[in-house]
Amino acid sequence: MEIIEKKIGNVSMVALGGRLDVYASSDLEQKLNAMVDGDNVCLVVNLEKLDYISSSGLRVLLASLKKVRKREGDIKLACMKPHIKEVFDIAGFSQLFPIYDLEEDAIQAFNKK
Amino acid sequence: MGISIPTSPAILVDLMKTGSVVIVFAYLVSRARFFTNLLDRTSDYKSRMLTILFFGALSIYGTYGGIVLSTGAIAHIRHLGPAGAIANIRDLGPIVAGLVGGPVIGLGAGLIGGMHRFFVGGFLAVPCGIATVLAGLTGGLVYSLKKGNFPRIWEVMLLAFGIELMHIGLALLIAKPFNDALAVVKEVTVPMVVANVIGAGIFASIISNLIDERKTSADKEKYRRELERKRFELETARSIQQTLLPESTPPLEGFDMAAFSLPALEVGGDFYDFIPISQDKWGLVIADVSGKGFPAALFMALSRTCVRANAMGNATASEAICMANNLIAKDAKSGMFVTLFYAVLDLRSKQLRYVNAGHNPPLLCKGYGGDVAALGAKGIALGVMDEINLQEIELNLSKNDVVLFYTDGVTEAINGRDEEFGLERLITLLEQNSSLRPQELIGKIKSAVTDFTQGQVQFDDLTLVVLKSL
Repeated sequence: MEIIEKKIGNVSMVALGGRLDVYASSDLEQKLNAMVDGDNVCLVVNLEKLDYISSSGLRVLLASLKKVRKREGDIKLACMKPHIKEVFDIAGFSQLFPIYDLEEDAIQAFNKK
Repeated sequence: MGISIPTSPAILVDLMKTGSVVIVFAYLVSRARFFTNLLDRTSDYKSRMLTILFFGALSIYGTYGGIVLSTGAIAHIRHLGPAGAIANIRDLGPIVAGLVGGPVIGLGAGLIGGMHRFFVGGFLAVPCGIATVLAGLTGGLVYSLKKGNFPRIWEVMLLAFGIELMHIGLALLIAKPFNDALAVVKEVTVPMVVANVIGAGIFASIISNLIDERKTSADKEKYRRELERKRFELETARSIQQTLLPESTPPLEGFDMAAFSLPALEVGGDFYDFIPISQDKWGLVIADVSGKGFPAALFMALSRTCVRANAMGNATASEAICMANNLIAKDAKSGMFVTLFYAVLDLRSKQLRYVNAGHNPPLLCKGYGGDVAALGAKGIALGVMDEINLQEIELNLSKNDVVLFYTDGVTEAINGRDEEFGLERLITLLEQNSSLRPQELIGKIKSAVTDFTQGQVQFDDLTLVVLKSL
């Protein structure tokens, strides 16, 4: 599991790569918690290099989403592969997360606010 | 000040003898319960007393068992005392006792050795006695300064060196006549300092080893307990899950049904359920709780109960599940959620009314070798948000139609190359084996998955329910 963080303006970027299984999920959970606790509530998660997401992975994203929304923030997802998008669609999570084809669009959406 | 260097073989032999005795003392004490109690800070009154006595005894031995220098330049000094002039290691015991047990224990051992030296007599009785008491006290003060942490080996040796210099200084300061004291000091200083510093080094290294050993075994013990706790949690999670699954499938008139669930090593919270709604209607549930282990098992228990409570007596699938969701969502901290497929089966009309709350759509095979369709419906996993809408779909089953409910543990079972079993394989299996009885179809799928995974450890539970219209 690859987790890369960077910051563009007031938007925090997280790029995920590889398999987000139950073990990788707890790593991601710690990272996201640290970011949110550090007042980074505008997150763009780039899933371009993500090959697999388990229900634990969805849970971690959902938990963070609930947290940042309480603080007027959001998590926007970008660059999903079709089979990852399908997982989000099946679970109904596509209704929950704003999803963008391009990372720039996701960042733009924050800046427009 | 011409201090003579002990180069004669006799002195070297004496040094080695002294060293050997110190090693034996150190070894013995390292095996003694009262001493390890002291190191572990679990010492009682008795352990502390025994430590004082032991190191007091070592101190008394030190008075006699040092290096005897009764010849040469100081042979004429008649009032040396019965023990002669000895490059003694009397201070060693009290120093170590103080370093390990603190000021009280150091002082205790020092008093024993010091008083004994005092009563041995001779013109050095007073300074040597005092020096030994101070040695114990100094060791104890270092203990307090270090907050009870045993110093490094070289620090202990340096301390012994300093204390011996103090010892000699006291002798010169107090003992009368000064010239005799000086003569003894000249003779004794080097062997005495060397013997004590080496002795301190021996003790320190044996004690340091002992402390390391005990720390390692304490860590091991902690790790073992952690593992035990983890195992207990896993077993509890597993038994919660297994207890809540139906023991058997209910006999449904006009249908044949079978179910199977294989929990992963770290339980994933899959479940299925058959809920009697009315005489002709049964609720069928298959669900997968996010996450693993104990939290997943508890969330599974909660979800199952909420669904059951709302399904009983309620013929509307969407209403039952939306109400269950409101309860589940209130308890869903830290993003827990459950994907769930729920269908109300009418045995008379053979109609299935279902909702899909974010679960993998079950597969429907129409008749023998017929097309396979996925039973999707618009919905969202339960526990995600407070108010949800679920699309309810009606489906009429005909003779020989087979519905295969499954969890992602089946399609996401991986082999050694991280390849997934996949939906395609499952669909093909269903197409080719739809004529089988549900129990046999489940057997086919199980063995296909087992063949595919080749014993690779699976991360997720694997659950299958098959319903066939007769």
